[in-house]
Amino acid sequence: MAESLNKISGTLLPQFNRSDDEHLNPYYTFQDYRQTWGMTIFTLMTTALLPLVVMTLIYYQLIETSINTESLLRTERLASNARRAVTFFLEERLAALTFTVNEMGYDQLTNPNSLAEVLRNLKLGFGGLTDLSVIADSGTQVTYAGPFNLEGKDYSNQPWFIECQQHNACVSEIFSGYREVPHVVVAVKSMRPDGRFFVLRATLETERMIQVLSSYKTGEHADIFLVNRNGLLQTPSQFYEGASHQVNLPVPAYSDRTKAVMSTDHSGQPILIGYAFIDTKIAPTSFILMVIKQKAGMMKVWLDLRSNINWFFGISAIIIALVITLTSTVMVNKIFQADRQKAETMVAAERNCQLASIGQLAAGVAHEINNPLALINETAGYVRDLFTIKQQYKEDPDLVEHIDSIIEAVERCGTITRQLLGFARHFDVQSQPINLNDMVADVINFHKKEAEYRNIKIQVNIPETIPLIETDRGKLQQIILNLVNNAFQAIDNGCFLDVWAETVEGDEQVRLFIRDNGCGISEDHLNKVFEPFFTTKKEGHGTGLGLSITYGLVKKLHGNITVQSKTGQGTTFVISLPVKLKEEIHV
Amino acid sequence: MKVLLVDDEQKFALMLAKRLELRGIQTAVFFSGETALKTVEQGNRFDVAILDVKMPGIGGIDLKRRLGQLDERMKFVFLTGHGSTIDSSAGAQEAENYLPKPLQIDVLIETLNRLTEG
Repeated sequence: MAESLNKISGTLLPQFNRSDDEHLNPYYTFQDYRQTWGMTIFTLMTTALLPLVVMTLIYYQLIETSINTESLLRTERLASNARRAVTFFLEERLAALTFTVNEMGYDQLTNPNSLAEVLRNLKLGFGGLTDLSVIADSGTQVTYAGPFNLEGKDYSNQPWFIECQQHNACVSEIFSGYREVPHVVVAVKSMRPDGRFFVLRATLETERMIQVLSSYKTGEHADIFLVNRNGLLQTPSQFYEGASHQVNLPVPAYSDRTKAVMSTDHSGQPILIGYAFIDTKIAPTSFILMVIKQKAGMMKVWLDLRSNINWFFGISAIIIALVITLTSTVMVNKIFQADRQKAETMVAAERNCQLASIGQLAAGVAHEINNPLALINETAGYVRDLFTIKQQYKEDPDLVEHIDSIIEAVERCGTITRQLLGFARHFDVQSQPINLNDMVADVINFHKKEAEYRNIKIQVNIPETIPLIETDRGKLQQIILNLVNNAFQAIDNGCFLDVWAETVEGDEQVRLFIRDNGCGISEDHLNKVFEPFFTTKKEGHGTGLGLSITYGLVKKLHGNITVQSKTGQGTTFVISLPVKLKEEIHV
Repeated sequence: MKVLLVDDEQKFALMLAKRLELRGIQTAVFFSGETALKTVEQGNRFDVAILDVKMPGIGGIDLKRRLGQLDERMKFVFLTGHGSTIDSSAGAQEAENYLPKPLQIDVLIETLNRLTEG
């Protein structure tokens, strides 16, 4: 589990291991690959996700605005319809009372039988009436028809009676009154022939009004009811009844037309309030019709859809982020690897260049030194000849010894200049087919006696599948000879020397391995072994040119030479050569 | 044995000639290919020519070709300040015997003896 997690984080989060490459720093195109990677992901994410987020938010905003507008309209329409229904209910009954007083007059209406007859007819024609009574201008009830016995009651202080005196007709609030049952009073004023007035009053069943309102209620989250102008509930409310029948919403300000507004209820839930002040053509009323819709209920379908969209959006964003991260990691890693390879090549190229220029310089110096050296050699040689060949000086061996040491020194310098000149030959490379096995056998042959004498085991394994190499015979021979010499100097008696070969890159290259188990090369020295004049041998025993010349020769043959070594365990030189030398090189 | 020595390094050539004379080898010294060619054209004969490879004017390789046309029996030894014995295997096919400077006199004597005996 932990391993697979590591693997995933390895795929998504690249390492860009730069701990071991300080020497490559100047050649990197980008210095901070982690930052490059981060910027790539950030840019891709922003361009991919930002438009999507903005579009989604705009879409949400538009949908919500349009739903709000639509909801307000619908609430307003509902309130408007309900208002018409309530107004009509009241107007119809007021009109019936007006017709009755005008048609029958005071005398006829004060007759209990005929009033009972009128009540029966009104109940038949309109319904919703409980009782009917005639009240004199003093406020005393004169005649009554209905289920309660309220004759002789004084209504002079009742608000509806006072209002009726002023406006000729009135609609009361819903109240309990003497009968202690909630009811509405509608009344109309009329004049008697003697100039005094009387009032015909009807009590309306509140049940009928509640039914009318309920028929407009839509959905389980809607509420519709009447309040008076002080916020006292006139009909029951399902959700918004507070203490002492008071509605727990603010009472809307007066408006002569139906309105709908957004608001919040007592618990902070968003709601839509549609309201209308109810006035009949015959008498004003104190009723305010209120339609309340819970926004959450209306928005449920949209909210569900939005939640689905959000899920879809979230999952898409995660997939996009994963793909972008993965792609960026792979791409930036590839760039990093390529850049690293480039930097390594540049470093190698620079080093080759340095080696080559040191070689050129060395060759020039060697050439300049060679002629005076030859002259010193001949002069010293002549003096020596005089001593050894002419009889008169023969007796002084001391002088001869001195001259011999001059000649020996010249010979040693000569060795150096000859090797230096190997760097920059003036001769062309001449290629011819060479059997690697034969050539290695020839070189090993030189050392056969020494190997036997020192008990060194030489193992050569060059398979017959290795093709003939078209290259310069002399140079290749020199390369192998130098490396075998080198190995023989590095190993003690009883050690071994392995030489083997393989083909690589689809048989276009041959790789020759020369391995010994001698003293090895320390890590500090490993990258200097191909530099001219570098030697670990005792002074006077090595020129420090053998391997650098070998390096130059391998390069001349369009090949490559590398060395792997561990102190005390031995050294392996690997030479890669093209099977076919492409062109002749002039150095 | 008669030897023709041609080298533009005059002091070197004279010193080498003296050493050869000390060993009983009769040596004629010339400092350019042109003068050496002239003496052979005049009918002087030598067993071996010791030629410096790189000289102003006629170089050693060219001189060998021309001397060879005049005297088919003449043998040649080359002196070079430009490399080692490996040069011979590296492609200077014309050279029969290459000796690098500074010379080892014993090797030169041995080479001369081998050539004249053969």
